[in-house]
Amino acid sequence: MEDVKNNTGQNLGIAALITSIITFVLAVIPCVGLIAIIPGIIAIVLASVGLSNASRTDSPRGVLLAALIIGIVASLISFSQVFVAGKIAEKADKWPSKIEEIITDVQQEVLKDLEDANVSIKIESGGEKIEINTNAGKKDREQALEDLEKENAEVNDTLDNK
Amino acid sequence: MTPWTISNIFNIPSQVRLKSEPYLVFNIVFTGIILLMMLYFGIFSPEKDNYPITCLHQKLTGEPCVSCGLSHSFSLILRGRVAEAYNWNIYGMRVFLFFASQLFLRIVFSLIYLRYPGTSKQLIILDIIGSSVIFLISFWHFFAYIFKFS
Repeated sequence: MEDVKNNTGQNLGIAALITSIITFVLAVIPCVGLIAIIPGIIAIVLASVGLSNASRTDSPRGVLLAALIIGIVASLISFSQVFVAGKIAEKADKWPSKIEEIITDVQQEVLKDLEDANVSIKIESGGEKIEINTNAGKKDREQALEDLEKENAEVNDTLDNK
Repeated sequence: MTPWTISNIFNIPSQVRLKSEPYLVFNIVFTGIILLMMLYFGIFSPEKDNYPITCLHQKLTGEPCVSCGLSHSFSLILRGRVAEAYNWNIYGMRVFLFFASQLFLRIVFSLIYLRYPGTSKQLIILDIIGSSVIFLISFWHFFAYIFKFS
């Protein structure tokens, strides 16, 4: 009867050790690391049950203890993947804001370019052509305004002299 | 004439019984798991891209992780297309070699264990140390990736 109990503990130990090693290997691979928490818990439960059985029958507990320790460490590594995923997600969240920044930069540059752009409008209707060319350039417009003001001032002076 | 049994082929002492040896059970189960893994990577092909396991990290974060493309890499290594395997995952070969070495070691250590039952303790210690070192070398980059973020 005692032999049967001892064998049961040992079998649980082997099962727990195999499960915990599989958990450890899976936990280290980031792609499937999160899933490894399930076999990890199974390994811990198996090892714990085996340990309680072994303590009752005074059978060897080396394999069970090894399985329990590996299972706990593997589960912790597996659980840490949650934080890894969280950190990556945080990092990934920065991407949209970066893209927004790039878009606003490009927008501003385009607006600047448009301020100095030359606009040409061509209208064709029944063989008649009208072409309007304007310098939309801000600097040019400012220059034109200054010239106009100067001209006006000169005209005014001459009128006053008369 | 002696019968053709494993015990006779490898000159294994008759007192060794498989059921009473946890180390042998452990080795047999792991050999089976590695063979099943090889079968999985042999069945699913990189051309069809029909792998049932997908990267959870990529699903959650949208960013590929360090182990992405490992399944493709393993399948390609099994098909002898090593150069293509490197394109899918740079560490694929290393991890594959870990599993291949484990398959080899499980068989060799089991045979040594059966042939020389007196050296079982030393053999198990050697196995644990050797396998741990190979594991660390093979998975080092994955460890580094996990610890970088956690």
